[in-house]
Amino acid sequence: MSFLRLSDLDKVYPNGFRAVNQANLEIREGEFVVLVGPSGCGKTTTLRMIAGLEEISEGSIEIDGTVVNEMAPADRDIAMVFQNYALYPHMSNRENLAFGLKLRRMPKDEIERRITEAARSLSIEHLLDRRPRELSGGQRQRIALGRAIVRDPKVFLFDEPLSNLDAKLRVQMRTEIARLHKRLKTTMVYVTHDQVEAMTLGDRIVVMKDGVIQQVDSPMNLYDSPVNRFVAGFIGSPAMNFFEGSLVRGRFSCEGIACPADESLPEGPAVLGIRPEDLQVQPGGACLGEAELEVVEHMGHETMAYFRLGTQTGVARLSADFPGRPGEAVTLYARSSSWHFFAPGEGGARLLTEETKTTGNAEA
Amino acid sequence: MKRLFLFSLLLLAACSPRESDRMVTIWHQMTPAERVILDDQIALFEHAHPGIQVRALYKETEELRSGFQAAALAGTGPELIYGPSDVLGSFQTMGIVQDMSPWFDESRQEEFLPQALTRLPSNNDPASKELLQVGDRIGNHLALVINRNLLQETPQTTEDLVRLAVEQTRDEDGDGRRERYGLVWNFVEPFFVIPFLTGHGSWIFTDEEGSTTPALDTPEAVAAYELVLSLQNEHKVIPANCDYETADALFKNGQAAMIINGDWSWGDYLANAEIDAEVVPLPVVASTGIPMGPMVATKGYSLNINAKEEQAGKAMELVRFLTSAEVQRVYMWSLKTLPSRKELLDDPLLQEDPTLKASAIQMANGRAMPVVAELRAIWDSMRPSYQALLGGSITAAEAAAKMQRDAVDSIRKMNQKLEPGLGATLIKGLGGLLLALGLFWALRSLHHMIKDWKHNRLAYVFILPSLLVLLLTIVFPFVYNVILSLSNMSLKHFQDWQVIGFQNYIEVFREAVFFSVLFKTVIWTAVNLVFHVGLGLLLAVMLNGPVVGKSIYRVLLIIPWAVPAYITALTWRGMFDYEYGAINLIASQYLNMPMVNWLGSPFEAFLACILTNIWLGFPFMMVIALGGMQGIPQELYEAARVDGASRGRQFFSITLPLLKPVLLPAVTLGAIWTFNNLNVVWLVSNGGEPSDQTHILVSYVYKAVFNLYRYGYGAALSMVIFFLLAIFSIGFLKKGRATQSVYG
Amino acid sequence: MREPRLLTAVRHLVLLLFVGIAVYPVLNVLSISLRPGNRLRSTDLSLIPDNATIASYVQLFTEQPFLTWLGNSLLVSVLVTLTGVVLASVGGYAFSRFRFVGREFSMLAILTTQMFPATMLLLPLYILIAKLHLVNTFIGLMIFYTATALPFCVWQMKGFYDTIPPSLEEAARIDGCSRFQAFRLVILPLALPGLVITALFSFMTAWSEYIVAAQVLQEREMFTLPLGLKSFQASMSTEWGLYAAASILVSIPVVIVFVSLSRYLVSGLTLGSVKE
Ligand SMILES: Nc1ncnc2c1ncn2[C@@H]1O[C@H](COP(=O)(O)OP(=O)(O)OP(=O)(O)O)[C@@H](O)[C@H]1O
Ligand SMILES: [Mg+2]
Repeated sequence: MSFLRLSDLDKVYPNGFRAVNQANLEIREGEFVVLVGPSGCGKTTTLRMIAGLEEISEGSIEIDGTVVNEMAPADRDIAMVFQNYALYPHMSNRENLAFGLKLRRMPKDEIERRITEAARSLSIEHLLDRRPRELSGGQRQRIALGRAIVRDPKVFLFDEPLSNLDAKLRVQMRTEIARLHKRLKTTMVYVTHDQVEAMTLGDRIVVMKDGVIQQVDSPMNLYDSPVNRFVAGFIGSPAMNFFEGSLVRGRFSCEGIACPADESLPEGPAVLGIRPEDLQVQPGGACLGEAELEVVEHMGHETMAYFRLGTQTGVARLSADFPGRPGEAVTLYARSSSWHFFAPGEGGARLLTEETKTTGNAEA
Repeated sequence: MKRLFLFSLLLLAACSPRESDRMVTIWHQMTPAERVILDDQIALFEHAHPGIQVRALYKETEELRSGFQAAALAGTGPELIYGPSDVLGSFQTMGIVQDMSPWFDESRQEEFLPQALTRLPSNNDPASKELLQVGDRIGNHLALVINRNLLQETPQTTEDLVRLAVEQTRDEDGDGRRERYGLVWNFVEPFFVIPFLTGHGSWIFTDEEGSTTPALDTPEAVAAYELVLSLQNEHKVIPANCDYETADALFKNGQAAMIINGDWSWGDYLANAEIDAEVVPLPVVASTGIPMGPMVATKGYSLNINAKEEQAGKAMELVRFLTSAEVQRVYMWSLKTLPSRKELLDDPLLQEDPTLKASAIQMANGRAMPVVAELRAIWDSMRPSYQALLGGSITAAEAAAKMQRDAVDSIRKMNQKLEPGLGATLIKGLGGLLLALGLFWALRSLHHMIKDWKHNRLAYVFILPSLLVLLLTIVFPFVYNVILSLSNMSLKHFQDWQVIGFQNYIEVFREAVFFSVLFKTVIWTAVNLVFHVGLGLLLAVMLNGPVVGKSIYRVLLIIPWAVPAYITALTWRGMFDYEYGAINLIASQYLNMPMVNWLGSPFEAFLACILTNIWLGFPFMMVIALGGMQGIPQELYEAARVDGASRGRQFFSITLPLLKPVLLPAVTLGAIWTFNNLNVVWLVSNGGEPSDQTHILVSYVYKAVFNLYRYGYGAALSMVIFFLLAIFSIGFLKKGRATQSVYG
Repeated sequence: MREPRLLTAVRHLVLLLFVGIAVYPVLNVLSISLRPGNRLRSTDLSLIPDNATIASYVQLFTEQPFLTWLGNSLLVSVLVTLTGVVLASVGGYAFSRFRFVGREFSMLAILTTQMFPATMLLLPLYILIAKLHLVNTFIGLMIFYTATALPFCVWQMKGFYDTIPPSLEEAARIDGCSRFQAFRLVILPLALPGLVITALFSFMTAWSEYIVAAQVLQEREMFTLPLGLKSFQASMSTEWGLYAAASILVSIPVVIVFVSLSRYLVSGLTLGSVKE
């Protein structure tokens, strides 16, 4: 049973811009779903439609079995953490937390109880009697989070709540949110730009592009079997290497590369995708060919090697002790199981073998 | 808060008076001293007539005239009006006063002096005359008042007058500034030059009975002007650019030996303990042997055309009482007014009291004020040329010739009877088409709104009350004006006006003066606005920092906004006075700068208006800017400081852009208000002085409408102003993207 | 943050200069009010006239219905201020936050109501007042004053709302507010400086107007202060002493209103609400 369902959702802004296009999404109760996608792809718009802040142009949204298209945000029983906190500056932090509860005419002691509890879990007890302007950015962020938590809503919505925080605070808050989800088991929809946040927090990840949902899947599936070149390139860091060439009778070839491929793949122009971490310099798997090193970055626990293969470039994630220097030539190998083939073009669909076709069907 | 509001509404309802039929209303323009007596007498009358209540309401001359015209046109208004007879010519032409003879039969009329009753030809039957005013006093005339502490001799001829005035003009400490003047009066006003004209054997109209043909360009008039001019230029017995208030103050201070002033002012002089005032008749003009004769007007009561049967009867009962011998005697005894009843001529007081005696002689020498609408055109045409003459820019002969030309032209315009032209049919057709289009558009919008209602319900609910209030108050006046601007409403077509076409608009653009006045108005608006905004911002920035005593500064700086402008503007006029104004005194005594004849020369007078208006307007902009600055986050300044921005940079790159949303509407409206600001120009330059050179478009409209009764023309000019402003401000706001908001 | 001395000195210098300019003409008015013998002009610079007298002030309270006028003016002005603030605060909000049909048109149309020269409006205005049976009522006056003040107030409020981040009311709506509640509980308190200015402006509009008042009010007891004041003026025989004294007294309530309102002209209300 889905708890939150978007059906054929469209958003056309008054200026005629179509920000969300035929979005379909089903979210189970208690699930943590992360929305990712490049800037301007419609994540916030989707979230705001769920919240009721933006009108729905076409399609419908259901929460807990009720179509909420026409329902005011106040009645949807959702809580949202804004990208910019949006704290009420004329109220103390305590009042900020209590505001939504008071509106719902909750008894005083219950309000007090919830605030204390939320404050404890977010370590903001000592900040409650200040005004938002007397807090640091991270503290404000936690108040904003607290304001959502005390509500104990059916659905939590987060719009990039951790952007603009420093790296350390980000990690801390991220685990905070993870812990929160584990404890409350409330449905959460979370928008982020951050790969790590998406991969670590999400039960499932929704990848959007230009208002269209590309793929909805668990983090590992998304990583292992992206449905198209866009998703493949978007998930994973550094991004997947793509080499353009063609498939002819079980072989993929382009300038500098010639390697075997599954016979069942359709013939013709194609793109080969290999993640940097699937490349190695030790012999093993299939040999890709001679590459010329252009830049070598030693990161401490690993090394990024930027190379040129024929006319195309790529990056390999190698062990920390890789001795190569720019200008040298190395032979690159790839694990054959990790190859992805896509139809040509920016968003080319994944080319399926007989085998993956069946597993793909099974999954759906 | 809601309860408070309801309560106040109840209170308001309770305060609204119940119009009752027993009430007789008089609008009058009596001086404060006269009002006291009037109120007493009315109380007596009410006591004697328990069925009648009287409500007397003072209105200033112009307000009474325009207010009565509007009220009568609307079918209401006071039953009675009281004032000088000169307005009756136009009131009769407009058909807003009625014949009083049904209530005032021949025998009654016999009891009055002939000049006390104003009888004009009927509109329907020019052969029969209607009684339009019953006068209760005759006067309003000028005479000479001498401060006997300074001067014992009484001038018999103008030669005496000049000689004595020269003798009395003293510069005791020899600093070039005179401590005392010989003869002062409201030198810049043509009404005060009339005795010189009559004394030289000239008059404003040609001599036939009831003539409305101006006769301003005569050799006698030129001689009169030359005499007057010599007092200022040759004999220097009167301060430069002396206006009413300066003359009055000089005489009351004992700094002037003689003053020419009207009967309304004598009471103040006689009561003043510092001077020993005596009223004497004006002297005989030496060259002609004719005594100088002021204009004499009758004041009295007239009956509104809308006063019907019973109401009119009650009102006339009141008129009979107020013009009775008893009441007139009270006025005569306490205010030394000359009565209008024959029987009172034998009153002992009239023989004994020196002031009344002098007044009576003066009146006998005087000439009755013509009861014709054209008189206003005469004043309007005389004033600019007369002032130009005093300012030295034209000669007496040129002035007289120009007066005559202007008067003929004004009278022609005033009496113009425009007939429906080709445009009228066009407009009717076009009007229908426009109406249909408008209706279609309105219906379509309504349709859109109904569709949109669901989404923006709250927005519609929120703006509805504001729109309703505005619609209620503006739609009718606006439509009325549009129609008026296409009509021939004027003195001759006041009630029976009709749509005639675009003649008024053509007229607007054909008059060359329109463009020069428009140019002046634009300058006026731009300069004012620049200074309002500039000073407002400067002061707001100064106040918006850590200043000790901020709140005190703030209060003191809004003072110009707080004190009523109609008195401060007059104060400024006083400060601009040539000889005694603070600005010239400070400039010459402390700063060693030359004195500027502020109000006497066109450019300086215009500058004076601008300076006054800048003073009046900067506090408002300051408050707006101050309010807007409170919304700017301090962090932005901190960030800018970190970036090393100077204070100037901070102002231009943070303060100004962020003030835009609140400043833009204020600036636009400020421009509109300034463009249409009649008061300041009117008060400071005394209605366009000198020589009608300080007009902006609105004061020009005002003159056209209220002095020449050219309603249609005025409405067309207003429409032109309206469109100019609309185009400007909508363009300005669109350019500033003011209708958009920063967020969503 | 301390300012450099020089800057402080400049601030005070500029402020003092303009205080001088602002106050001097009004001191002149004060001087007229104290001058015996009904004189508008004086021929020297002294501000305290010889034999100064407060007779005019005494006369105002004893012989003139000054207190009645004051009461009338206060009643009308306070009510106009209230209605003005209420209407403008909601109207401005609609213009700032909603995109409804006819929004831009009505915004500009509201402004155009200010563009007509008032002199030409008198005739139709009187006819309107008479036809609506509003002659000699305060309600009639209030409607016209509100209409006069509204265009500026609505635009001003819209400008202020524009500076308040909309995510605040969105947060409130998600917290359980209706749109109206979000406006009342969250946005309105933050627009306080705008409300102060709107209130001040509405008050001033009603307090100092006399042209419409002269058309509407037909009884001395119903007069508002400006109208009462004008009744001391007659062409060439104005009671300058009373006129000036009343003018000074008339401005005192304005100062009081300004002082009490300007406490709320505080900055940084929205500070800390959103990430910049
Ligand atoms: N009010 C609006 N009117 C018209 N277009 C809009 C409006 N709001 C957003 N858009 C457009 O809709 C698209 C989606 O916007 P949205 O805010 O949902 O993006 P996003 O995925 O949240 O991006 P980001 O990651 O940068 O926050 C953008 O291209 C934006 O330009
Ligand atoms: Mg976003």
